[in-house]
This record gives sequence, structure tokens and C-alpha cells, in this order.
Amino acid sequence: MANDAPTFRSLVTHFTDFLTVAIHTILYERNIYPRTSFLSARKYNFAVRQSRHPKVCEWINDAMAAVETEILKGTVERVAVVVYNQALKPTERYLFDLSRFPIVGAADADVPLERKAADGTTVSVLPVVDIEEQFRATMSKLANCGTVLRPPPVDGTFTVAIELKSDGQAPVSHPQPWMPVEAATRQGATELQSRRTHPLRAVVAGDLMFESWIEETPAAD
Amino acid sequence: MAQDYTEYLAINVLNEQQLVSYRSLSRALKVHSNLAKQMLYEFHRKQNAKKPGSVHATYLITGIRRAQSPAHTNGVHSQEDGDDTVMQSSPPLPSSFAPHHEEEAEEPVAVRSVLLVKEEHLEQAKATFDSVTGIHINSLQANGLSDVQSLTECNRKIVESYASEDPLQAWKQYGTIQNPNVKRRTQRKGPPPPARIAKDADAKMKPLAPTTKPTALEKQASKESKDSQESKPASKPSSAKATPEPSKKPAAVNRQGSDIFKSFAKGKTKPKKEDSQSSAEATAAATEPEDEAMGGFSEEEDDAEDGAADVDEVPKESEGKSKKEREADLQAMMDQEDEIMEDAAEAIPDKTAEEQDEGAIDKPDSQQAEEPAKDTVTMENGRRRGRRRVMKKKTVKDEDGYLVTKEEAAWESFSEDEPPPKKIEAAPAASTNKPAAGKKAAKAGQGNIMSFFSKK
Repeated sequence: MANDAPTFRSLVTHFTDFLTVAIHTILYERNIYPRTSFLSARKYNFAVRQSRHPKVCEWINDAMAAVETEILKGTVERVAVVVYNQALKPTERYLFDLSRFPIVGAADADVPLERKAADGTTVSVLPVVDIEEQFRATMSKLANCGTVLRPPPVDGTFTVAIELKSDGQAPVSHPQPWMPVEAATRQGATELQSRRTHPLRAVVAGDLMFESWIEETPAAD
Repeated sequence: MAQDYTEYLAINVLNEQQLVSYRSLSRALKVHSNLAKQMLYEFHRKQNAKKPGSVHATYLITGIRRAQSPAHTNGVHSQEDGDDTVMQSSPPLPSSFAPHHEEEAEEPVAVRSVLLVKEEHLEQAKATFDSVTGIHINSLQANGLSDVQSLTECNRKIVESYASEDPLQAWKQYGTIQNPNVKRRTQRKGPPPPARIAKDADAKMKPLAPTTKPTALEKQASKESKDSQESKPASKPSSAKATPEPSKKPAAVNRQGSDIFKSFAKGKTKPKKEDSQSSAEATAAATEPEDEAMGGFSEEEDDAEDGAADVDEVPKESEGKSKKEREADLQAMMDQEDEIMEDAAEAIPDKTAEEQDEGAIDKPDSQQAEEPAKDTVTMENGRRRGRRRVMKKKTVKDEDGYLVTKEEAAWESFSEDEPPPKKIEAAPAASTNKPAAGKKAAKAGQGNIMSFFSKK
């Protein structure tokens, strides 16, 4: 993390750390893995759940590394954690909208950032205390999301998806971490309306700004 | 009062969807915990009567638990489901581990348990108890609790928001369990720092020190609340000395904090006053340690509130003079050599002594306030922590190549269970720890700062 001068990279690192914890929490809440496989940990001065299974942790860390690479390129608009049911139909999406992230060129990822307010005073780019508090609030809401959502699918699974900006380059490289999926596979208009959205939180801490919400696909079948 | 709690709960539980435990309710509404529990119960009952299932509760059951079979007990302990948290106040049931055939022969040992359950498991949990000695609502939440762990957040918020309340006083209001034999540790006297010059300060310090003891308890209890009030009215030299003492410390502490910054800004009197060695006036003596006591520690305490007002008062008086003097001294320092600088430095103490005299006339309060101050000490839990002046020897190479050993005051932080040293003496040289070393121009020609500049 940045000690004195926050860089864009540290901003992104904060975010991916938070995403990692969020994913673990989602896995716990939605019973994707048995609850007994989670241990209690502490993050942002808050009690959170962390999976003990090494493969799960490894997968999540890899996913976060890939997300970080994409965010640093500046092409990511949203990150979604999608929960599927047994038939591999998505039942809910946890979305994090990153469109308000500062736009920094790839070469400038390590340049210290500074923001000046209208009257010339320097405003903190990455106020750590604020960030912690807001992350804590988001985690608290996420942890209780299970009570507002429908019961989780039995034997469901999950994945992480990113939606790129319209001008972004699709990440196709040789060791390909991402699978390209057509946007058209998302539901049609009628289904969009019957989708329920639960807002989580809009985090605004210095320059780290993102919104988060949960989308539930309509109770089909 | 009755309306308050309904409103408060409606806002927090229903609108904001937060978890409200009986402890947070009692702190927020300043009521006894038992009353808070009743409030929670009432609210829960009413809301669920209006709209069933709108408010969920977790319960705390205390009682004697039926002895459970070993397998079952083990299952309960290892199952970290989050549903039930079993806390046993007595050691584990010996009969649980006893072989089965002995169970009928032995009296099962009663296990007093405290169980935290969600309301859906309430009946089931009650069934596991032989006798229930107490049951009350622990928390309310809007939709239901998926992870019992999240209740820890309530406690964290309490600690964070209400840390300033003194538990020794607040316990009556909130009904926290109190041990009647518990006492706050009083400050004990610490070793006085090595000899300092201000005799007057010494004399005044001694009568002060004993008076701190009897008032230690009350001071600490209401230190924070008193601070802001007392730093203003400040001290009359006699009785009120003891109580202003602690308030002076944070006040003094704040001064120093801002002193550092002001010394960068120029026009600060404090650094000048430090220079006075010979003119060991009580005021001079008192002010110096204040100024010296450094930054990092003082800045943590009471950021702006108490000190801000005080800080502004005293410096402003002599600001005009000091500015010119400082610039003059800086010039002198830059251009001249050691010996000459010493002369210049000596000239300054006279002036600074003057300033202090004026300061003394203008603000008798604040200066007396400074006197008893003990080098930035805070009383925390009976431990004295802070910075104090210690005489240290520094060997410096003069510009002529001579090694000069000077004894100077230096600050060191200490933490001990003793009251701070009583004596505060005017240090001959300003502390060398100051980053603003350059600005402390007219240091009485002693510190190695001089030689640093002379090398230019």
C-alpha cells in the first residue's frame, strides 16, 4: 500500500483486496462451499469469513490478479461475481461498477497521484481510514445480503466476470485467463425488468470510487 | 423517553437496517442496560404485531444446561456453525468424558452456560437447558442475521464511539458490572530529571506535586471533560494548581505541537524563550519544557480543541519583538562564528527575559499554567508517559578542531508508573531534537547546531 504517495497501482490493489474478501464472503453467505470450510478472520477491523480450502483461495487470488491487470490497463467498466445454479444459469450477480476510477495510462501506473481541491489545497487521494470504514460498511451489508435475497441455489457455483468499456481491447493473450463471452447472452428487455436489484454501497474514499449492487435474476423455473 | 427509543430503533433497525444490540442502545440513549433490554423487547413485540417478521432478534439465555452426551457435546463444540455460541463458565463437564456406564452412577455436574441464539432457534435452545435463570434480547436486526459474527461490529462501534466516557463513572448509568474493590492507580512520583537551572520552578513544583496525588482520581476521571474548561480559566497559584495541572499538560502539549509548526512559520516566541539560560525565571523555566516537549507525542493528544486557544494567546503577545530578534539572530548565526554567536546569544536572553516579563504581566494565568506542567506527560491508566528533559553530554568538534563537550538537555520519552518529575528547569540550550533546529536561532550558543552553521 502507498505510504506517502498513493499511486494508481495502490488504488487498484486496495480494490482487489477488498474484492477478494467480498468473494469469500459471498461464498460463505450463499453456501457455495460448506460453511464449515470457512474460518473467521479479521479484515478492516471487521469479522469476515475466509475459505480454508487451498484451491479455492488459489483460484480467487489468480482471478484477482487477472482483474488487477485488466483494471491497470483501464479497460474495465464493471466486475461481476456471478452465482450460478446447478443448471449453470446465473441466479445472481454481485456487481462492482468501476467506471469512476481515475483514468490513468498504463505507463503511469506507478506515478504518485495528487489531487488539489478548487482552492488549491491538497486533498487526500487515498484516505486509508475512510477506505477502511467504507469497506467495513460494504462488507457488513454484503454479509447480511443473504437475508434479503432468495435462498441460494443448491449445489451452485460461481465465477468472476468483467465487462469492458466499449473502447477496450479484449484480453486475449497466450496464457488466456479470461474467456470471452458475448454480451448478447444477457437477458432480453422483459427479463431485465423483472430483475431485482439491491444496492449495496457506493464507496467514495478519495479517488477510490465505485458502486456495488446485487442483481437477482427473476425467479424462473 | 418512551418515544425516543421507538424512534431511535425505528430509524436504526428498520430504515438503516443496522444491528442494534442492547449495549449500543443503552449507550446511545444513556439508559441502564436492563432498561435497554426492555426497550428492545417492547419494540420487537410491537413491530412484529404490526407486521410479522419485520424485526428479528437474537437472545441471550443464561442457565444451567442439561448434561449432554459426550458425542453431542463434542458435536456442539466443533460445529462452528455460527448458530449457537456456547460459552461455559465452568470447566468442561467431567462426566462428558467419563465412560458411559458411569453416567447413571454419577451426579451430572451442572454447567452454567450463556447461549446466544437467533430467534428461530430459541425454543430449541431453551429445551437444552435444565433451568433458565435469565433470558433477554441481545440484539435486533431488520431482516434476520445470517452470520452471528456480525454482532461483533456492535461492540466495536461502542468502543469507538464511547471511548471517552470514563467507565468508573459511567457504570452506574449503564449498569455495567463493577467490582467494588477496583481503584484507579494513582500517580507515583518519578525520579526528577538531572539538575536544571530554574530554581523558582522547582520551588513551585514541589508543593504542586503532593497536591496532585489526592486529586489524581478525580482528575483522571474527568480529565478530558475538564481540560477544555480548565485550560481557559487556568490556575491561580494556590489551590487550583493541582487540577489545572493535567489540563495544562494537554494544553501545554498542544502548545508544543503547534509550536513546532509555528517555529517554521517564524515569529514564534517560544523558541526564543528557551534560550534564556541565566534569566532563570519561573516563567522562562516553565515555558521551555513546554516548548521542548515534542511533537509526535503531543500531537496525538487532543489535536486542536484545548490547545488551540491557549496556543494563540501567549505567542501573540510578544510576536512582534521576537520576529525581529529571530531574524537578527538568524543573520548573526549565519554570518558569524561560534564565539561571536555566543555573545549574540547572550544578548538575546536579556531581551527574551523582557518578553517573558511582559508575558508574565499580560497572562499570569497561562504562565502559571505552564509552570507545573511536567514536560508533556499524560496520565493514562496510572502510567506516566511522555517526554522529559534529560541532561546529555554531547561532544562536538569546534571549527578550530577542538572537541567541545557540552551538556545539554535532550528529550527522551519515558513511560513509568510514577508521577512525572516535578522539576522543570530552564534548559541552557534548546533541545536538539527539534527539526526546527535552524529556526532556534538564538540558542545560547551551545548546541551543535551552531557548529553546524559555522562550518558554512
